[in-house]
Amino acid sequence: MKRWTKVYDDIAIVFYRLVWRRAWPIWVGALALAFANIFMFAYARALGVFPQMAMWGSWVYNLLGIKVEAPFAAVPLTPPHLDIHSMIDFGIVFGVAIAALISEEFKIRKDDWQGYLAAIAGGVLMGFGTVLMPPCNVGGFYTATMALSLGGPVAALGLLLGGYVGGLFLKWQANQAANAVDFSAAPVGEPVKKAGASLQPYIGVAIGILLAIVAFIYFSLGKPKFTGLLLFGALFGIIFQRSRLCMAAAFREILVSRNGTVMKWILFSIAIGTVGFAILKSQGYQQMHFVFPAGLHTVVGGFIFGIGMVIAGGCGVGILWRSAEGYVRAWIALIAGALTSGSWVLIYGHRVGEGWLYGKPFSLGHQFGWFGGTALILLFLACFYILITYVEATKNEKN
Amino acid sequence: MKKIKTIKVGERHYQVDMRGWMCPYPKYAVESLIRKLEDNNRMDMLVDCPSAPDDVPKVVKAMGGKVPEVSQVGSGEWRIVIVK
Repeated sequence: MKRWTKVYDDIAIVFYRLVWRRAWPIWVGALALAFANIFMFAYARALGVFPQMAMWGSWVYNLLGIKVEAPFAAVPLTPPHLDIHSMIDFGIVFGVAIAALISEEFKIRKDDWQGYLAAIAGGVLMGFGTVLMPPCNVGGFYTATMALSLGGPVAALGLLLGGYVGGLFLKWQANQAANAVDFSAAPVGEPVKKAGASLQPYIGVAIGILLAIVAFIYFSLGKPKFTGLLLFGALFGIIFQRSRLCMAAAFREILVSRNGTVMKWILFSIAIGTVGFAILKSQGYQQMHFVFPAGLHTVVGGFIFGIGMVIAGGCGVGILWRSAEGYVRAWIALIAGALTSGSWVLIYGHRVGEGWLYGKPFSLGHQFGWFGGTALILLFLACFYILITYVEATKNEKN
Repeated sequence: MKKIKTIKVGERHYQVDMRGWMCPYPKYAVESLIRKLEDNNRMDMLVDCPSAPDDVPKVVKAMGGKVPEVSQVGSGEWRIVIVK
């Protein structure tokens, strides 16, 4: 019996305490994200979330009687529950909710009116950013770079500067509030007491069972790929929630706090992903997947998106993630982002990638071969790494 | 402008309530707060952003402060004990 108690304890340590009760080290998240993205690409498609949300926006307009096409050709107008791409987004919400509840980190987090105003502004900026760039921080930078798209590195420039501007605004707000604090005039009060046991882990398990039921329903309706992408989405949700690998923070912190730790791990993650994507693509598999138009619009779109993601409190993935953690600010940003990007065809007259605004999709793999393209991406990652380290060094000098 | 609720809970001991402030507000605000805090005083910062229990102590330590304790006080809520 003693031996079985030890077996139980050992398994509990790994599969409960390490996975659910403690935040994962960031490098674990970075590695897991890269491999999950390679596997999902090999299965069906790579990670990107905003085109689906834009389609939801267009879908709502059509429900209200305003006829408008969805902005991204790859995600045409479909009721969201019948759209295969939306399964990833739903999966992320499920995965984050499960992880946040089991780890007792869920809370309905309200903000004040200024926070909600920032959410609307951030959502609108991301909505325009996603159709200009295209598509979002994760799809347009993280996955696009892995996919050997020139747009990925170009978007990084805009996102970096946009994240800086947004970050300065948040820092200014934080400083304003902190400067108003006067310790000597603080009223006497009772400290907060520790709350009792929480039911959240049980609710988390219940949501997990619900996910399994939904996954099984799609499977039994003859839609196994829907099931697969839903489960992949949930895996991404768990990885993001447990490792707190926030792509908005990665861009924001480089220049605002002169700390590039998160981005350095993301670059490492992209490097692994690039090799995986290049192997798959060089075999003739979905060679233009996640290769987006590149041009000045990519930088401008990235800049606008960068500001938006920081003041909203998360990029495309980030607001899905925070929504599932209970952030009301993220719910509002999500609605604002979807309704803004969903109206793009009404405003511009064409879909994303069509018309005068956009450059041509540029695949480094096609231009320089799969070895050459991979080498160029790795060179870009190395240069970005050096740039970040240089910025970090200027901070140490200042002190 | 949203206010950071601050109360005195003991001699040279304060509680700063930043629940409702998403990340990265707590880690940006703590820089100014720690400068305002007098030496040998203690400030318990309450946060409800899951990244803050990791981020805030890093900033505090980089500024020479101490973080003797970080504990979860409720679902999605933490207390970060900061001593200058």
